[in-house]
Amino acid sequence: MKGYKQTVLIVVLLAFVQAKCLAQQEKNSLILNVGYYNLNNKIQYLKATTKAKIDGKFQLVPGIHVSFYITDQTAPNLLGKAVTNEAGEAAVAIPATASNEWKKSPKQSFIVVSEATKEYDATTGNADITKARIKIDTTADKQITATLLEQTDSTWVPIAGVDMKITVQRLGGDLDVNETPTYTTDSLGMVNAEFKRDTLPGDEKGNLVLVAKVEESDLFGSLTTEQTVPWGKPTTYVSEFDKKTLFARRGKAPGWLKFMAYTIFLLVWLSLAYLVVQIWKLKKIGTQTT
Amino acid sequence: MESIAKEKIIADLLPQQFGKKGKIWVAILIAISLVGLVAYARQLQKGLVVTSMRDYVSWGIYISNFVFFVAISLVGSLITAVLRLTDVHWSTPLTRIAEIIAVAAITFAAIIIVVDMGRPDRFYNLFIHGRLQSPIIWDVIVITTYFFISILLLYFPLLPDLAIFLKLKKTANSRLRKTYSFLGSFWKNTPEQKKIAEKSINILCIIIIPVAFSIHTVTSWLFATTYRPGWDSTNFGAYFISGAFLVGAGGVVVAMYVFRKAYNLQQYITDPHFDKMGKILVMLALLYLYFNINEFLVPAFKMKKPEEEHLTGLFTGEFAPIFWFAIGTSMFLPILILIFKKGRKPLPAFVAGLLVVIGSWFKRYLIVTPTLLHPFLPMRDVPESYKHYFPSWEEWAIAFGSLAGVLLIITLFARIFPIIPIQETITETEQHERV
Repeated sequence: MKGYKQTVLIVVLLAFVQAKCLAQQEKNSLILNVGYYNLNNKIQYLKATTKAKIDGKFQLVPGIHVSFYITDQTAPNLLGKAVTNEAGEAAVAIPATASNEWKKSPKQSFIVVSEATKEYDATTGNADITKARIKIDTTADKQITATLLEQTDSTWVPIAGVDMKITVQRLGGDLDVNETPTYTTDSLGMVNAEFKRDTLPGDEKGNLVLVAKVEESDLFGSLTTEQTVPWGKPTTYVSEFDKKTLFARRGKAPGWLKFMAYTIFLLVWLSLAYLVVQIWKLKKIGTQTT
Repeated sequence: MESIAKEKIIADLLPQQFGKKGKIWVAILIAISLVGLVAYARQLQKGLVVTSMRDYVSWGIYISNFVFFVAISLVGSLITAVLRLTDVHWSTPLTRIAEIIAVAAITFAAIIIVVDMGRPDRFYNLFIHGRLQSPIIWDVIVITTYFFISILLLYFPLLPDLAIFLKLKKTANSRLRKTYSFLGSFWKNTPEQKKIAEKSINILCIIIIPVAFSIHTVTSWLFATTYRPGWDSTNFGAYFISGAFLVGAGGVVVAMYVFRKAYNLQQYITDPHFDKMGKILVMLALLYLYFNINEFLVPAFKMKKPEEEHLTGLFTGEFAPIFWFAIGTSMFLPILILIFKKGRKPLPAFVAGLLVVIGSWFKRYLIVTPTLLHPFLPMRDVPESYKHYFPSWEEWAIAFGSLAGVLLIITLFARIFPIIPIQETITETEQHERV
């Protein structure tokens, strides 16, 4: 009897442990990455990316509610809330209401907290950055100098040894200004690049947008600075929309197509009309014969 | 002697009243057509949602039917125009069969396009807002033109026959007599009338050939002008035309056998007719096979990624049973049957013709639907039913209703008018006797 009770107890215990394990296995662990972005030294924003290992591979997780904090996870330091989109991304700009906290120190900590869901536990991610900015200078002979500066108390000092890209905006992407893809800042925090894309089409005035950027630096986050320069080929966009083409709207068919189509149509239908006249002629002959 | 022969020909070829079998046949066709009408009424009421057509397969068996009807209608130009212009006289008894098949098929090709429209009440917009650059407009124009030419080509050779009826007291049915009188009472068989009719028929025979080629080439361009696996082909025009001649000739062989049997026309639709039509069918099947090899072998050799999915679907995938059935029945089996002299006897030729027609219908289905199930971008976040296509009962009912409609037109035409041209048969018999 005693042995029977022990067996039952062990079975119940094992079942409980297994159920607990299964319950724990049901939840995937969420990976929450936080990035800091500084655009044109004017707009600073944070971006959280949610990922999870599903079916043996990492996949982006949409629909996760995330809260962004500065310095610590307290209500006054809440920067904003957002929900991850289909790309698993949620972004919040650092609002003016957080300016006091933002100005307190050249170094900042950001905390992002995701809410627990049925599939995932609540997760926390953070990013620690030092405020930095990029300055672009250009000369008439198409030389570009980009300087990376770091904030120390109230002054900005150059930083050496950071990788930087110098590009020009082209068709929704970035094109290197010459054959060098990446530069490293020197002791003055500078990189120098020569613009060699002379034939690149610009806007009507030949304006192009130069971009200097530091990507996903552990110290400074992602920094981007843009500057417009008149180094491109002036290009005026001429709309093809209203031209006579095979793919144009009704009434804008090419002349040759109209000519061919109407000629064939008329030839065939005039012949048919002629034949209808012949029937009428047959009728007339028949009536006269009677 | 001539008069006796003439009277016999007239007596043999006069339209006959339906017997018991004929009435049952007509009743079945009317019943199938009515079920199709009921299904269409449901579709009008509830919309195209009653069909299985969804976001991906937006052209199902309606468009397959349309392509099939356009294809089979081409036989009018082959038998009537091509053979007449090349001075081939043995085909004279078959011309009217070919022409009525053409008229009936092209009529339902036009109807089925309207059936495929979700809002047929907006059909007129096609004419008001249609773009001259669109192959759809070309199709509308060319179908209308072909219909009109086919009607005229049916009508002109019918005029002398109508005059024969009106002279006969036997055709006492007043309604029929009124119809004959309305259509042809003015025909007096004068040399002048004969000359005008002959000239008109020749003009029609010349016009109908390019128009017939256009009608099916344009239909092929509805597909070929789009950049999709299975349709993106420069071979499509010739591929469609050769297939159309094949199915049309197959349809004529079937109709020849049925009319010969039903109206005891053994003296007029003879074994040599089946022999010759059988040879034509073999030639057309080989030609179509050649274009099929071009159509499938070249992309299969390259196996570009988007084409690969489409082609493997046809060769070994979900469409493979229909694909090989269609290839076998529309080409290989008819060739195997008809290549032998015994196979060109009426019954085996009829079987071969029937196989061609059935196989060709499935071939049209394979041209239209599998491509739509293989878009360039993968099908994601859609219900499972969007990824496959099997027609709903409404679609089947409408498709069979339209097929029954075509057969009904042909059957009723044969009831009212002679299915073999009487006057032309008399003239040719007289010429033959003189020789």
